[in-house]
Amino acid sequence: MNRNHYNFDLNGLLKKVFFVDLIQGLFITFHYTFSKTITMKYPDEETWIPYKRFRGLHTLNKNKEGKELCVGCELCQKSCPTQCITVVPMQDTTGKGIADRVAYRWEINLLRCMFCGLCEDACPTEALKLGREYELAGTSMQRHLLTKEELLAPQAVPAEFEGGVIVKARLGTDETGIKVVPDMSVQKRWW
Amino acid sequence: MEDVMSIASNSGDDIITKEVTLNMGPQHPSTHGVMHLILRMQGEKIVKAEPDIGYLHRGMEKIAENLLYSQFVPYTDRLDYLSSMTNNLSYVMAVEKLIGLEIPERAKYIRVIVSELSRISSHLLAVGAWGLDLGAVTLVLYAFREREMILDLFEMLCGARLTYNYMKIGGMRGDLPPGFKEKCRDFIQIFPKRVDEYEQLLTGNRIWLQRNKGVGVISAEDAVDLGLTGPSLRGSGVKWDIRKDTPYLVYDRFDFKVPAGGNGDCFDRYMVRIEEMRQANKIIAQALEQIPDGPVNADAPEFVSPPRKDITTNMEVLIHHFKLISHGFKAPKGEVYSSIEAPKGELGFYIVSDGSEMPFRVKIRAPSFVNLQSVDPMSRGAYFADVVAVISSLDPVFGEVDK
Repeated sequence: MNRNHYNFDLNGLLKKVFFVDLIQGLFITFHYTFSKTITMKYPDEETWIPYKRFRGLHTLNKNKEGKELCVGCELCQKSCPTQCITVVPMQDTTGKGIADRVAYRWEINLLRCMFCGLCEDACPTEALKLGREYELAGTSMQRHLLTKEELLAPQAVPAEFEGGVIVKARLGTDETGIKVVPDMSVQKRWW
Repeated sequence: MEDVMSIASNSGDDIITKEVTLNMGPQHPSTHGVMHLILRMQGEKIVKAEPDIGYLHRGMEKIAENLLYSQFVPYTDRLDYLSSMTNNLSYVMAVEKLIGLEIPERAKYIRVIVSELSRISSHLLAVGAWGLDLGAVTLVLYAFREREMILDLFEMLCGARLTYNYMKIGGMRGDLPPGFKEKCRDFIQIFPKRVDEYEQLLTGNRIWLQRNKGVGVISAEDAVDLGLTGPSLRGSGVKWDIRKDTPYLVYDRFDFKVPAGGNGDCFDRYMVRIEEMRQANKIIAQALEQIPDGPVNADAPEFVSPPRKDITTNMEVLIHHFKLISHGFKAPKGEVYSSIEAPKGELGFYIVSDGSEMPFRVKIRAPSFVNLQSVDPMSRGAYFADVVAVISSLDPVFGEVDK
């Protein structure tokens, strides 16, 4: 095993004596001392708004008239590889038939979900979308079993917003825990 | 005991002491993930290094047997979680070969672009973590900055930063979003300069050279015998690259070189990775130039879901979509092996089909798993500190080793 890789020529020897290799490296780190910072002050001052296609927390959507788009077809449940979605369609108790079929129960177990987006692909009415909420940590398991009502709530970031920007944010606390509240008025791109 | 004597006597004045067994990992910070090495040591020298694997075993191959062909794609993300795109690619290519499906040109180009971006991001992490392991902490900060750019591109493309699930059988989950090409071009312009910076930091650095040159040497014959693939094999001077030797997708249309080392030591494997990043960058640039317009999903209704606009307007198409999602498709009876050049080496999927909607058996030929067996021949007789360099130079990812 030959660890002696330097040839003893004068140039190499001088380079070795004057630490040229190390100084070259230090020059780069020195150069970056004066360059613009790329890190983000998350969560105290800034937060990241993901791109449009981001696969975060599920959202159930409504149409323009405010009607639920989900028709309770159970296709998302069937497409899910981890079987974390439970859909129970509305039962006809009147005997006259239902004009607008909706889901009676729509539940998701986020502890099992791997955010693959196959349910989103399966949904025929574009009711189910994976949204941009990504701060999903919680202290109790119960908080990760979400129902239809929670998923139908409007999103913090509008669906049309392009995303991929760093925005100003404020770190707030409420009874459910810590929440980062984005302020969309100040936006910047990091590269 | 003979090999112990010979190792000790080779180094001259070493005193033979009692052999010590040292457990390195699974929580050691300089082993990758949950790597556990059982080292038998004679003083500071390694007599035998035995990897103990299985801490991250999730039964991937068995899971595949209980899922539809299309449902297993997100699980492949969790194999080599540092370059999920190539895992997706290898699996969907195997299934497409099984069912005899040809994908559109545009999808092929997108697949090349994302897998080469994946290769860069994987090598960045490999080289960065390598620097971190050997005490050159600066590099990982710079490498992660560029990796962050790629993850940003991937987030734009498929909505995830780690587990992409971007490919599906017969195409892609979505076309390139508007603005992606420009952003990707920005990246490939910036990137070569950044690689030069890494080289300036490390390649000439005397500490880096002393920690890597002549360490973990493996000859070309031994490397082939052990089944090494990827940069670990090319570091020993064997120019075997599946992209070049049995081209898949559209790799035969690009002009790129396959770098190879000569000595088979850690430094050669480092240089191969650095050069591969440059070549991958070149491939992306060419692919972005040549990429044609057109659909990204194959027009094969029996395997691929119809386009979304048809689902919402046509009743028959909707029924077909329901059928395909809930029951999957039946693959013909037979078996197929398909492999690609993943960043770590040859990643292959061997699928046996019994004619039903689910695979009968899936065998994953994971490069990290095969490469890991060379830890012992590489580090035998070396110092304990060299084992760290050897592991980093092999770049094992334990999602893939343990499956």
